[in-house]
Amino acid sequence: MAAEQAVNLVIVGITLGAVYAVMALGLSFIYGITKIFNYAHGAFFTWGAYFAWMLSSGYLHLPYPAVVVITVVIMFFFGFGYEKAFMYPLRRFAGWDITAIIVTLGSALLFDNLALALFGTRAKRMPYLVEGNFVVGGFTITRHEVVTLIIGLAIMVLLILFLGKVRQGMAMKGVAQDQTGARIVGIPINKIFSYTFAIAAALAGVSAILLAPKILVYPTVGWVVFIKAFVVMVFGGVGSIKGTAIAAFILAMVEAFVTFYLGGIWGTPIFILVLIIMLTIRPKGLFGTW
Amino acid sequence: MVVSKILRKNAFMLGALLVLALLPIALRGNAHVLNILSACLIWGVVASAWDLSIGYASVWSFGHIAFFVIGGYTGAMTVMYLGIPPEAAIPLGGVAAAVIGILIALPCLRLHGIYIAMVTFGVHLVLSTFILRWRDYTFGATGLSGFERIQLGQYVFSSSVPFFSYYVIFGVSVLLLFIIYRVINSTIGLAFVGLRDSEPFAKSLGINEYKYKLIVFGISAFIAGLMGALYTSFYGTVSPFMLEVSTFLMVLIMLMLGGLGRFPGAVIGAFVITVLSEALRPLVLWRFVILGAIVITVMIAMPQGLMALPQTIKSFARRVTQRKQIKKDSIKTSSI
Repeated sequence: MAAEQAVNLVIVGITLGAVYAVMALGLSFIYGITKIFNYAHGAFFTWGAYFAWMLSSGYLHLPYPAVVVITVVIMFFFGFGYEKAFMYPLRRFAGWDITAIIVTLGSALLFDNLALALFGTRAKRMPYLVEGNFVVGGFTITRHEVVTLIIGLAIMVLLILFLGKVRQGMAMKGVAQDQTGARIVGIPINKIFSYTFAIAAALAGVSAILLAPKILVYPTVGWVVFIKAFVVMVFGGVGSIKGTAIAAFILAMVEAFVTFYLGGIWGTPIFILVLIIMLTIRPKGLFGTW
Repeated sequence: MVVSKILRKNAFMLGALLVLALLPIALRGNAHVLNILSACLIWGVVASAWDLSIGYASVWSFGHIAFFVIGGYTGAMTVMYLGIPPEAAIPLGGVAAAVIGILIALPCLRLHGIYIAMVTFGVHLVLSTFILRWRDYTFGATGLSGFERIQLGQYVFSSSVPFFSYYVIFGVSVLLLFIIYRVINSTIGLAFVGLRDSEPFAKSLGINEYKYKLIVFGISAFIAGLMGALYTSFYGTVSPFMLEVSTFLMVLIMLMLGGLGRFPGAVIGAFVITVLSEALRPLVLWRFVILGAIVITVMIAMPQGLMALPQTIKSFARRVTQRKQIKKDSIKTSSI
C-alpha cells in the first residue's frame, strides 16, 4: 500500500518536474541572456493558459494539436511584442536594468488584472491533452502525464541543441557571456533580446498548456508557478539546462511528498525554505555557469 | 542666520509640511478627503522606508509589505491577547517587524540584487500561509478587528474620527520622515550610498557590508512595521488581504514614480498614486490595468521618477535647442 502510494507520488513528481523545468528554463533564459529578471513571467503563464482555454474548452473547441501550436505561436509573438514595446524603449537610458525590474512588475500588474477584468475570478476548467490511462504492472498513469513528460524532455533536448549547434543559439550564449563583447563582434543585441523573450514566452505557454488541466486557470495562477520556477532556476543554477532539469525533478518530487503528507498549503513555503537554504550554502546553484 | 539658511535650503519641504498641517482646517474636516490624505501619509512613510533599503542601500528587499503586515498583526494581537495599551502596541509592531527583518537579513548577507528580492518576496508569500494556518489567533482570512483603539479624552484614533486621527498620523509621519531624513544624511546613509555605488571601494575603506545590510533591514523594517500597526489601529482591521500582490506593487510603484534614492520622492509618489488610485476606484477591475499602464509609460518616458522631473525637462529642452542650433548651423553652412 505504502509502496504503491510512493510510486504514485514519484509519478506526480516527475510530471510536475517536467512542467517546472520548462517554465524555469524560460525564466532562466531571459535572466541569463538579457540580465532582466522578468517578474511578468507568471503573467505569461497565465495568459498562455487563457489562450489555450479560449482555443479549447472556452470558445473555439479546436482539436488539441491545433490548440498547442496556435498557443505557442501566439505566445511567441506575445513575448516578442512585449520586449519590443516595453523593454526596448528602456535601453535608451543608463541604469535600464533597474527600470526594467519595475516595468516587468508593472506589466505583471497590468496583465494579471487584464485577465481578471476580461475573464472574471471564476476558475476555468481545461480538458486533458489526451484522455485515458496506461496501466503498467498495477500502477495507473494518465496519458496526460506521459505526454507532459515527453514534451518536457523534448523541449530540454531541443534547447540544448539550439544553444549548442544553431547559429542564433550560439549568438544568444555570446550575449549571455558578455553583452559588450557580443556587440563588438556584430551580434545584433536588440534582435537577440526580442527572440529571447519570444522563446521564453513560448515556453511559458507550453508549461501552461501542460499544467492548466491539473490546476485550473484563474488570474493569479501564474504567480504560484512563477515562484516555483524561480526556486528551480536558482537551485539548478542560471544558464544550465541540465541543472535546471535536475533541480526541477528534485523539487517537484519534494513538493509531491510534502503536499501528500502535510497538505497543499505547504507547497510554496517548502520551496521558499529550500531557496533560502540553497542561497546560503551555494548561491550559484547546482550547476551555475552564467 | 543659521535659521534662515535652513529655511531657504528646505523651503520646499517646509512649505509642503505647512500645507499638510493647515489643509484639514481649510477642508473643514471633510472626512473622505482627510482619510485619503491620511492614507497618503501612511504610504508615503512606508515607501520612504522602503526607499532607504532599495534606493539608498540598493538592497532589493521585497519584504516591506510583509513587515508592514507583521507590524499590523503584532499591534492588533498584543492589544487583543496581552492587554497591552494600544499606544504601546504601535511601537511594538515596529519592534516585531525589525526583529523579523533582521532574521530575514541573515540569509541575505551574502546575496545581491535579484536574489535578495526573491528571498524577501518569498517571505512575503509565505506569510499569508502562516496567517491562514495560525487560525486560532489570527482568524485566518477574515482577519482581526474590534480591538481597542487609542483614546485621548473624548477622541478615538480611527478612520471615523478623521480630524483627530489625521493629526496623529501627521505627527507620527513627520517624525518618522525626519528620522529617515536624518539617517540618509548621517554616516550610516553615506555608507549605504557608498556600498551602492561602488561596493569594492566602500569595502576597501573599511565599511562593513554585513553590518550595514543588517542596519538597513532593521531600520526600514521597524518603520514599515510601526506604520503597519498604525494603519491597523486607524482602520481597525487587519487581514491577509493586505498581502495581495497588488498592494505590494502599488507601494513599489509609488516609490519608483517618485524616484529611487531621492528622498521626498517616495512621499510625492505615494500622494500621486494614492489619489490616482482613489480617483480610478469607480472603474473597479480596470483600475489596476490602468495603473499598470501608467507605471510602464512613466518608466519608459522618465525612468528617473518625478523628483528628477526638472532635470529631465531641462535635458530635454537642451536637446531640442541643440537640435535647432544644429539645424540653423547646417542651413547657414549650406547657404555659404
